[in-house]
This record gives sequence, C-alpha cells and structure tokens, in this order.
Amino acid sequence: MMRDHSVIGGRRGGLLLVVAAAVAGVIVLGFALASQEPAPPSPPGSAVGTIDPSPATSQDRTPSADPTPDRPEPEHDVVGAAEEVPLGASEPVSVSIPAIDVRTEVIALGKAPDGTLAVPQPGPNLDKAAWFEDSPTPGQPGPSVIEGHVATEQRGPSVFFNLGNLRPGDKISVEREDGKVAVFTVDGLRDFDKDTFPTKLVYGGNLSTPTLRLITCSDFDASIGHHTGNLVVFSHLTRVRGA
Amino acid sequence: MRKPLTLLVPLAAAALTVAMSPTAAFADGADGTYQTTLDPLNGSSGSGMAMISVTGDQASIDLSWSGLPETFMDAPYPHVQHIHIGNRGECPSPSDDANGDGIVDTVEGQPAYGAIGTTLSTKGDTSAAAGTNIKIAPGGSSLDYSRTITLSQDTLDALASGTGVIVVHGLDPATLSKKAANAKSNLVPELPLAATSPALCGALSASPTGGVATGSGSTSGVENVALFGAGGGLLAAAGVGLVGRRRRSVTQAG
Repeated sequence: MMRDHSVIGGRRGGLLLVVAAAVAGVIVLGFALASQEPAPPSPPGSAVGTIDPSPATSQDRTPSADPTPDRPEPEHDVVGAAEEVPLGASEPVSVSIPAIDVRTEVIALGKAPDGTLAVPQPGPNLDKAAWFEDSPTPGQPGPSVIEGHVATEQRGPSVFFNLGNLRPGDKISVEREDGKVAVFTVDGLRDFDKDTFPTKLVYGGNLSTPTLRLITCSDFDASIGHHTGNLVVFSHLTRVRGA
Repeated sequence: MRKPLTLLVPLAAAALTVAMSPTAAFADGADGTYQTTLDPLNGSSGSGMAMISVTGDQASIDLSWSGLPETFMDAPYPHVQHIHIGNRGECPSPSDDANGDGIVDTVEGQPAYGAIGTTLSTKGDTSAAAGTNIKIAPGGSSLDYSRTITLSQDTLDALASGTGVIVVHGLDPATLSKKAANAKSNLVPELPLAATSPALCGALSASPTGGVATGSGSTSGVENVALFGAGGGLLAAAGVGLVGRRRRSVTQAG
C-alpha cells in the first residue's frame, strides 16, 4: 500500500511538473514573440511625393494621391510666407515629428575617416538624430541634413525606425539653439541604393530654398547582414516659430 | 562703372602675389562633390550655399546667395566672388581685424582664406586675373549661379586638400560703424572700404561620399534569443517529462 501510494504520488508529481513546464514554456515563448520587432515601414514603391518643389508651385500642389485617411489634409504653406525666411545659422537642438511619434535630441556630426557621413556611435548618442555639420543649419538656405539609425545591433529599433511612414504634408519641427523652431513640410520620400547614392541631389539640389533631408537606412539584406539602401525624406521650410 | 574696374586692379595684383606661393601637388584628381554654406562676414545680412562637382579639371558650380546690397553708384552692386586658395582654408574671424576698425578687410582675411585661385565670373575669364573685373561679376542683391568651368591645378589641389574658400565681396556701407563706413579701401583708396571687403564666406569641404550607414542592425532577425531559448527549453522539458511518464505507466501496466 505504502508502495502504491508513493507510486501514485510520484506519478501525480511528475504530471504537475510536466504541466507546469509546458505552461511556463508557452508563456515565455509568448513574451519572446511579443518582443519581436517587425521590419521597419518602407514607402510604397521606392518613391512618394516630390523632391524640392519650386517655391512658385509649392502652394498649388494638389494633395497627395494616397493620403492617409486619419491625417488632416496637408497644409501647403507658401514658401517665404514666414517673415524670417531664410534664417541665419543656428545649430539644431532637437527634432520632433508628431506623425511618427519622434522627439529626439540632435547632435552634430561630420564625416568619418573614409569620407562617408559619420553616424551616431554606440553609447548615449546612439539613438539620437545627427545633423551633418557641413550642411546648412535648419532654416538656412539649402538642404540641411539630419540622419538617424533605423535600427542598431545594440538596441534594435532606433530613432528613425518609422521614417518610411511619413507622407507629403507631415510636419517636422526643428528647435534651434537661438530658440527658433523651423517647421518643415514633407514633400516626398525616396529609396536610394547605397551603391548609387545621389550625393549631389541629397546634399545639394535647390540651394536657395531652406530645405531639410532626413536620412536613414533601408533594404536590409539578411544574406549579408547589412542595409543596402537609404531612405531619404525631402521637406521644405514652411513656418518659423519662436524668438 | 568703368572707373572702379581700373581702381580694383591693385586688389588683383595683391591677390596674385599670394597665389604664386607654391602649393602641394596631388597626384590624384579632385574628383568629387564639395559644398559649403555662405555665411555673413563683417555684419553682412546675406546668406547662401555653394556646391561644386569636379570631374577631371571640369567643375560644375552651383552658387546661391541673397541679402547683399542691391546698388552701388546708382548701378547694380557688383559682387566679385572667388574661390580663394593656398592658406588655412578658413573664413576669418573678428580677431583677424588687425587695425581694429570693425571690418576684416580683404587683406586682413588672407591669412585665413588665401589668395584668389578662381574667379566665379558670370562669363568669360575665370582666372585670378579676372578677380576684380566687375563687368563679368554678378550684380545686385541676390544670385542663382550655375556654370561649368575649367579649374586650374592650384584650385583643384586646394579643393582636394580642403583649403578652398568661397568669398563674395561687397558690403552695405549703411551696416558698418561710422568709422568703417567713412573709411577708404586700403587696396583702392578711391573706393569706400565697404566695396572691397568680404561679405559672405564659406570654407569648401568634400560632401560625404556614398550612402549613409544608419543601420548597424536589423529587426528582421530574432530579437530575444534568450527568451525563445528559455521558452523552447521549458516546452522540451515538458515533452521529455510526458514521454517518460508514459513509458513508466506502460511498464507498470505490463
């Protein structure tokens, strides 16, 4: 009898352990799945909207052909309507992009030793946006360039993870050291192959209009473990707020 | 407007003297894209940007500025503009104002930006000799300039070594201190100091090459390997336990 009991007790205990392990396993796997990040959004096709609308026509642009329904109709402010366009030089301090819930400090970076644009390195600045210090400050005439990681090995999704969700008409606000806030309106998105990156178009183009380019990575190639493309958001200054 | 042209010749001569100083030669070309913002000097209210794309000795030059004085002697204000070369490759700072008149004049700026290497004229001669030829200088308060020209080896070398500086001249006397506004040019005594002084300056540097490495990782892989491992391990343990339990009951039944 004692022996039977112990056998029964042992069998019950084993069953409990098995069930507990199975339940715990399912729960842990659930957490693991929940922590999985989706791929970053990319614009439909490789091109949305326009690049650098000329000041004369920007006010006449028709709304985007594929507007996101829950977004207000894009405002088309007249370039030059703001009193102080273009602005003088003043470095960017922070950038906020409400449409994709981005608000971040902005650091200044130059070029890496190999001549490419330097990018935020592992450490406290890894997930901040970076202004290219040889480009105009936001609000000065010409294209100001601000970059940010899409994702990093160290921390996964980064500051510009959702950049591909921006659409023409969305606003980008850049706070400057002088207290002014330069507000840019998105004109378009382009996906460029890094091998044929159009330097002159992205860092140049219309040199007289204050514009802003946001750059991040795109087109992750799992077979080589690298992004092979760059997503560039083109926008132009439509408003200046503050001091 | 013919008179100032003659008067400005000593300015070119002074510039040429410095241009003769030897510069390092570079075996490889200056191929690439260079850029700079044009920022105000000497209380100027102007601003602008320049971009230069070089292939061999051919340079496609795009230049845009605004906010400079509109008229001079009842005519469009001539704003001579150059790529200066051969010195530190920088724009001067207020501390370069050697005589303390509040203006860093063209000569005072030369230790920073050097002498004229190329004249960004609207047509014809682009050599240093055309540096003060106001007949082919842009005039008025703003400019959108696009021109493909041949660059000298000295200017190509300066671009490649990061010592090329774009300077646009011509200040509004009304924005200067009374002393400076009344002063005569130290190069051309018949002209006001304002006319020959730098108004905009930008040190050229190579634009970044290639794409941008803004993605050291990806979210397309497995983010939480440890969690997946732990969960999988627990399930596997449960499976082993279940099998073991069945075997035992089979044995006992037998």
